[in-house]
Amino acid sequence: MSITRRAGALALVGAGALLLASCGRSEGDSTTAAPPQASPSMEAIAAVPLGDLAGAAESHLAATIPNPYRDDPQAAQQGHELFVRMNCAGCHGYGATGGMGPNLTDAYWRYGGAPVQIFKSIHDGRPQGMPAWNPALPPQEIWKLVAYIQSLGGSYSAGQFQASLQGDRAGDNVAPEVQPTLSGAAASAPTAKGADNSSANAEARPDAGGPPPTGKP
Amino acid sequence: MQRIRAHLISAPSTEARDRCRDRLRASAVASGSLLALALIALPLAADAQGATPAAQGAASAPAASASATTANFAPNDPPGEWHSQARDYANTRFSPLADVNAGNVSRLKVAWTFADGTQNGHEAAPLVLDNTMYLVTPFPNISYALDLTKAGAPIKWSYAPNPTPVAIGKACCDTVNRGGAYANGKIIYNLLDMHTIAVDAKTGKEVWRTKMGDVTHGETMTMAPLVVGNKVYVGNSGGELGVWGWLAALDVDTGKELWRAYSTGTDEQVKIGPDFKPFYSWMKGKDLGKTSWPPGMDRTGAGSVWAWVSYDPETNLIYYGTSNPSPRVPAQRPGYNLWTSAIFARDATTGMAKWAYQFTPHDQWDYDGVNENVLIDVNFQGKPRKALIHFDRNAFAYLMDRTTGEVLSAEPFAYQNWSKGIDLKTGMPIVVPEMQPRPNVKLPNVCPPDIGGKDWQPSAFSPRTGLVYAGIFNICMDVTDHPQSYIAGTPYDGMEMKRFAAPGGNWGEFMAWDPVAGKKVWSIKEKFMTMSGALATAGDIVFYGTADGWFRAVDARSGKVLWSYKLGSGVIGQPMTYLGPDKRQYVAVYSGVGGAAMVSSKMPGFPPRGGTLYVFSIDGESPHSAAGMLQTEGGAAAARQDQGMGGKP
Repeated sequence: MSITRRAGALALVGAGALLLASCGRSEGDSTTAAPPQASPSMEAIAAVPLGDLAGAAESHLAATIPNPYRDDPQAAQQGHELFVRMNCAGCHGYGATGGMGPNLTDAYWRYGGAPVQIFKSIHDGRPQGMPAWNPALPPQEIWKLVAYIQSLGGSYSAGQFQASLQGDRAGDNVAPEVQPTLSGAAASAPTAKGADNSSANAEARPDAGGPPPTGKP
Repeated sequence: MQRIRAHLISAPSTEARDRCRDRLRASAVASGSLLALALIALPLAADAQGATPAAQGAASAPAASASATTANFAPNDPPGEWHSQARDYANTRFSPLADVNAGNVSRLKVAWTFADGTQNGHEAAPLVLDNTMYLVTPFPNISYALDLTKAGAPIKWSYAPNPTPVAIGKACCDTVNRGGAYANGKIIYNLLDMHTIAVDAKTGKEVWRTKMGDVTHGETMTMAPLVVGNKVYVGNSGGELGVWGWLAALDVDTGKELWRAYSTGTDEQVKIGPDFKPFYSWMKGKDLGKTSWPPGMDRTGAGSVWAWVSYDPETNLIYYGTSNPSPRVPAQRPGYNLWTSAIFARDATTGMAKWAYQFTPHDQWDYDGVNENVLIDVNFQGKPRKALIHFDRNAFAYLMDRTTGEVLSAEPFAYQNWSKGIDLKTGMPIVVPEMQPRPNVKLPNVCPPDIGGKDWQPSAFSPRTGLVYAGIFNICMDVTDHPQSYIAGTPYDGMEMKRFAAPGGNWGEFMAWDPVAGKKVWSIKEKFMTMSGALATAGDIVFYGTADGWFRAVDARSGKVLWSYKLGSGVIGQPMTYLGPDKRQYVAVYSGVGGAAMVSSKMPGFPPRGGTLYVFSIDGESPHSAAGMLQTEGGAAAARQDQGMGGKP
């Protein structure tokens, strides 16, 4: 995929996000302040794939959607309150280190650890008992839960869908034969304990999926 | 009595104490004096308080109450077979086999093994009949029949019922299963996703499948059914998810539900009628299963029935316990919260309640009442009593009259600080006020913690010693209650806990308990949790395993550890013993840590998960090993190779 195509898709995502953010507010279902950043559109979020969808490289782009509550400690705190109040802690543990449900503080993510992937897991539910929180929780509340989980450090940054998919960690060595697929993105391995500086990472690494090295297994 | 006790406790050395104890034993046995017999428990109990395993090096001696305490071993299955998880209706887990005994048990070696391909907590015992072994795995609840007559014990059939993976996330405490029961040509067991199934024991074909509830609302099934006649009794799990607890009877041949008795609600729902006669007055009244709750909360109040059912053929009564109330935050549910953390005696035919008793009224600590009820006949204070012994999670051992529900004695068997004791006049525990948690306030050092002084892991009774043997815990917790809302399919829980070893530093202990004296006779301290079932045999050996994977054989009388063997994973299963087609005695146990033992999974030395059945014999001899090349014969392939762990071949 060319840089141009990617940029175009990003612009579309952004436009959709603005539309949905206004919709969300008009429904009046949020009890707290609107996020400092525009909320992504549900259409864009819907395009985020669950894992590695062969031949659907473009949809990977949606996985770069950042959390509108990134860099908002108050939202993370509200997310923590939701985490206890909505019985999340009953499964994932009061420290979110796991119990009936998985650990949310490590870098192992069954359904992807980028913010929008975590959003989708909460919004849609997952097959091994994770309930769907749509419509019980409006999108803004789900994003606050994501902000809380991001604050625990186990998530991947937005834009690191491929890193999440491929199990890359910050500081990984990269074998020379793999380098071509990372064209110019060697420095952008995910920071497992890092803050969500998603937009920058989205640009730095071709997470929307570059072409495989031809002729190599 | 006072003089003797003082003398023994102040004895200067172990040797002197042992000598004195042996003299007392001899004199008691010679005189046949029951009073003297009861006295013996005192010095023995003192042993249990020692810093080192009390039993090590202790002399073998006749047990005190051998002559007095007995049990009914109906349905009296063939001695070499094992048809239900507890082997008999009384839940003794006693085998009449005696070929393995104190003289040769140290020569036990692995005869053969079977890896079932699943990795979650293995809490079941195998069944053996007609030279076939039957296994039921944790989720995805595959069953196997292994042909014991052929080299390598090949798979005769295996059956994958494919429960929905939604159930994985609804099971509070790992995706365990406590095993199946054989009845009328069928292996009957529960699936985690709220179905009970019967599989043809000869062919492995499913005979019937009955949907018992809705897994998406947080109900699961993990308990082992009990079969009596043409009825199979099953119950639900989900005390942490606000389910409505029940026990149901199904027809063995069709799976049709015959009746269902809820643990909370109106008398009609609880199946309480004119024949219901609880022993204590505070449990008498109309619709207490509803009125002892805030309005509407009885329907999400749990009282799930996730462990064992016993049956007394003489009175035609079944006995079982109910789980903690939901939510686990007591401030949200003022009242006794009947009939949670309680025991029911019911007519086995009609399901109507005969009596009930609530061990922990208004349970504030998650002290489920589900642990096994072992039906024993005792001579108590000079009178024969039809009794049951129950080691509750609340750390008290209850000896009860099983015909009336009267508590004959209730003594602590594990470290606890929530209660000053049980008032035998009222049947009420005397709660220590400071140990009652309040919302959003951290309450330190409450003992035992949620998983109790003992959890579901069943005890064993030997009529040869009159003692009951059980793996118990030595654990406390810091607890903070967080008030909860009921959201279907999510935990209705609210207890934030940190668990740690109680004084002594050991998490586990294996004990012999004198049910008549209400005293510990000996005990073995274990660094890790002792979360396996117990097995007692006529060879006067008791078997148990530890969470870190040691499988041990102990002298039933002295408590001396005679043999230990390290298995691949931890043991939370139930040991059993059987006669092979070669008439050799085998001892089998699953290795596969999980379940509630995972609360200690951060301990150094905690093993990885697994799922391997180990079968032992003297010197490891069996048709499954020999010089030269043996080969697997005939049989079938394993039914499901991905075993629910993801990925098909």
